[in-house]
Amino acid sequence: MKQSRWWTIAGVAIVVYSFFPLLWMISLSLKPPSDIVSGEPQFLPTSWSFENFTQVFSQLLFTRALINSIGISLIATLLSVIVAMFAAYAIARLDFPGKKVLLSLALGIAMFPQAALVGPLFNMWRNIGIYDTWIGLIIPYLTFALPLSIWTMSAFFRQIPWEMEQAAQVDGATSWQAFRKVIVPLAAPGVFTTAILTFFFCWNDFLFAISLTSTNNARTVPAALAFFQGASMFESAVPYVMAASVVVTIPVVILVLAFQRRIVAGLTAGAVKG
Amino acid sequence: MTVTATRPDTPAPAAGKGSDRARGERRLGLYLAAPSFIVMVLVTAYPLGYAIVLSLFNYRLTDPAGRSFVGLNNYLVILTDPVWWNDFATTFAITVVTVAVELVLGFGFAFVMLRIVRGRGPVRTAILIPYGIITVVSAFIWRYAFAIDSGFVNQWLGLGDFNWFGDRWSAIFVICLSEIWKTTPFISLLLLAGLVQVPEEMQEAAKVDGATAWQRLWKITLPSMKAAIMVALLFRTLDAWRIFDNPFVMTGGANNTETISFLAYRQNVSLVNLGMGSAVSVLLFLTVVAIAWIFVKGFKTDLSQVRGD
Amino acid sequence: MSGPPTLTWYINPDNGGQATRAQQCADASGGAYTVDIQTLPSDATQQREQLVRRLAAKDSSIDVMSLDVIYTAEFANAGFLRPYTPAETARISEGKLPAPLKTGMWKDTLYAAPSKSNAQLLWFRKSLAKAAGVDPTSPTFTWDEMIKAALGQGKKISEQGARYEGYMVWINALVLSGGGQILTDAEAGKNARPSMASRAGDKAAEIVGSLARSSAAAPDLTVAQEEQARAVFQGDDGMFMLNWPYVLAAARSAVEEGTLDQSVVDDIGYARYPRVFADRPSAPPLGGSNLAIGAYSKYPEQAAALVECATSLEKVTQYMLDEGEPSVYAASYDDPRVREAYPNADLIRDSIAEGGPRPITPFYVDVAGSVINTWHPPESVNRDTPAEADAFMADVISGRRLL
Repeated sequence: MKQSRWWTIAGVAIVVYSFFPLLWMISLSLKPPSDIVSGEPQFLPTSWSFENFTQVFSQLLFTRALINSIGISLIATLLSVIVAMFAAYAIARLDFPGKKVLLSLALGIAMFPQAALVGPLFNMWRNIGIYDTWIGLIIPYLTFALPLSIWTMSAFFRQIPWEMEQAAQVDGATSWQAFRKVIVPLAAPGVFTTAILTFFFCWNDFLFAISLTSTNNARTVPAALAFFQGASMFESAVPYVMAASVVVTIPVVILVLAFQRRIVAGLTAGAVKG
Repeated sequence: MTVTATRPDTPAPAAGKGSDRARGERRLGLYLAAPSFIVMVLVTAYPLGYAIVLSLFNYRLTDPAGRSFVGLNNYLVILTDPVWWNDFATTFAITVVTVAVELVLGFGFAFVMLRIVRGRGPVRTAILIPYGIITVVSAFIWRYAFAIDSGFVNQWLGLGDFNWFGDRWSAIFVICLSEIWKTTPFISLLLLAGLVQVPEEMQEAAKVDGATAWQRLWKITLPSMKAAIMVALLFRTLDAWRIFDNPFVMTGGANNTETISFLAYRQNVSLVNLGMGSAVSVLLFLTVVAIAWIFVKGFKTDLSQVRGD
Repeated sequence: MSGPPTLTWYINPDNGGQATRAQQCADASGGAYTVDIQTLPSDATQQREQLVRRLAAKDSSIDVMSLDVIYTAEFANAGFLRPYTPAETARISEGKLPAPLKTGMWKDTLYAAPSKSNAQLLWFRKSLAKAAGVDPTSPTFTWDEMIKAALGQGKKISEQGARYEGYMVWINALVLSGGGQILTDAEAGKNARPSMASRAGDKAAEIVGSLARSSAAAPDLTVAQEEQARAVFQGDDGMFMLNWPYVLAAARSAVEEGTLDQSVVDDIGYARYPRVFADRPSAPPLGGSNLAIGAYSKYPEQAAALVECATSLEKVTQYMLDEGEPSVYAASYDDPRVREAYPNADLIRDSIAEGGPRPITPFYVDVAGSVINTWHPPESVNRDTPAEADAFMADVISGRRLL
């Protein structure tokens, strides 16, 4: 049908829209540094080499930043999912005073200007002694990831047919068996999707990372990217920054490819399923 | 963030046990919600209060002996300072441009995702990629594309050695491009969520009555989506207002491209001028509150769905 | 506790010279300490940012740091640095050129030991100077004469006019050379008085403004840093350049790599920084970095020992030979190896000895920021600029304006 062809063409345009900058990133990461000082730079590299990648991985600045990013993001995601799970369950299933307050608070946090906190947090953290530590970043990440986690999970939880738990118990299962065999498989996708979204959030943060860290102890990849230098004082840092960028984009692409449906469902609060 | 499912029916409780159960439920609910509540309040309210206190002083970290109480003077200084208003203007320009473009573009994407038949999966995947990419990476990609020593844009457009980052408005243009590319997917998903809930019957009825696609869009689709659109607009506006990563990486605030968040960072962290910097932080918070106020009370944005009422 | 304590030394990046000094000192210490080198960013402003936030967090892992000369006052005033004892000060001061030593002091106490120094020279193309009939090496060569000569030949004067610290270096040198100061009573802290509006300041504004608006200015002056200036000077339009001594070694390496012609290098002459007024000796811009001890270091005595060892005459002289960074000792310039590598050794030493430091104040960041803000871009500088800068600077320091 002619009409569906137009939509497909538009779809192709969207794919180009998304992937074109990625291609540019990959092209830059394969360029030799000498390409960057040339008079008329081109899109494609003049010669292909993976040297930039080996150079990037030989730098402690990057390898430590990678470890920091992975560790901090995973821990913050885990904590955020657990805390949000409790709240989401309560919101979806229970009636308690303060439910509105909690949701309004989550709304407020989602709107909150994080830059307003860098000064006080910098001062507070250095006085307590958690400046430039993992926990120093995990705490703000946990806080600002909670709204999205709570919303996503409570939306998923609202759609779970809870009465199946009672049905299983009527059928003779113990309370624990009912929970494990019925509820957990139903809730798992929602929890998992929330974890992915939260991970993206922590992986992405830059403001707190540059304000609350100062050494390789806790500096994450986005902050480290801003510190990259060339191999020597007069060499451009561009290919190395891009090589590092390629490396940290790979997990994102993999997650998106594998879990596209779930992520879309999560971001649209279940309105769009597949 | 619209939610449609209803809660399943629970059997009516027996007389005496009812109040016990209700009380037990309330208690459980409070316990489960408490950790979230505590974390969110502690990490924002307390530092904000601390910032308010700090903002009443003239306090530079590197001159501890010179700390002195100045009351609301810092606020007066900031609100009459051209640096603040310049940054305000830059932030305002970026917000208006990106939100306007993204609304239109986001709608386009949402429609494609709704109507596409072949290739739905790949399109959805493609949409999510910019969402997942680190903002700083996106900033570098766009910056290097437009830079004179590394970028192809000048070559492709035949601009010679035009320095995109040497002038305020061309630099802001590139910043907006990076911001739009990165965040349009998210807003398109919010709009898609609203789109799928537009009742089909009204569309069919209108089609039967002979309305064109354009008329159906304006008279049926958009009005039914009004709530979803306003919520999406509110969040997108606040996100744009708080922009930090893109200007930082692309220009470092040079050539008058500094934003309010950047000003807060610069005063607090680079200059360690904690008194003045805290005042900027508080003012930033107040501007955000003002924007939310304008949307909720002025444009009557209905946040009940988001609050889960 | 077993084994010698490990001192951490935060260096500004170089080609390994400081690491070598550290290793030699650790070996010679007889087991008193070992040294771990950490590298700071290459930009002085970023170095300061990193150190400030860590010292503000009372970081005890900072034992020794290589601190740019402009930051001693700020760090000392903030309580970030451990002062040297009178005995240490006496030993450290011996043999040092006076100007670098002064940059390490705040309120008559030594907080940072001079480690390397720097002073800008006037570089010129001998053939073009001859054609213009001027002698830049003449003791009374002034900026006005230089500009006139460049205009006459249709060539360029290379300076650093980008919106960064190097621009402050230029402006400060002009003001000092004219007999004025950017900031009077710097030790009074917040009550220091900006004093750019003066005979010296007005003349400085005239020089900067007229050069920037004339055809003798390099086309990229408003974004030029040291390397851009060197590129223009080595090109076809270059005639004069104000820059640090490293440019000669860099030009020689360029010849070895084949990107520069030997004839250009042979044509390079050097002289003292030009005068602002013919009757007043110039104050060549002073740079360099000093070694300071963190106030929260757990091993201050060992750190002091490391500093004294690393800033000894032999080590500093060797550093000058290896890294091309001028020494802080007068005696280094008499060393035959130095004289061989640096034909302009005497000139460098005299320039440093009579060098003009940038204002020594805890509010240096505000002072420099105010000056750079009001004087940039160079074409906009006119007779009102010095007074504007004064007013703005006073407001920023006392918290009446945002920087």
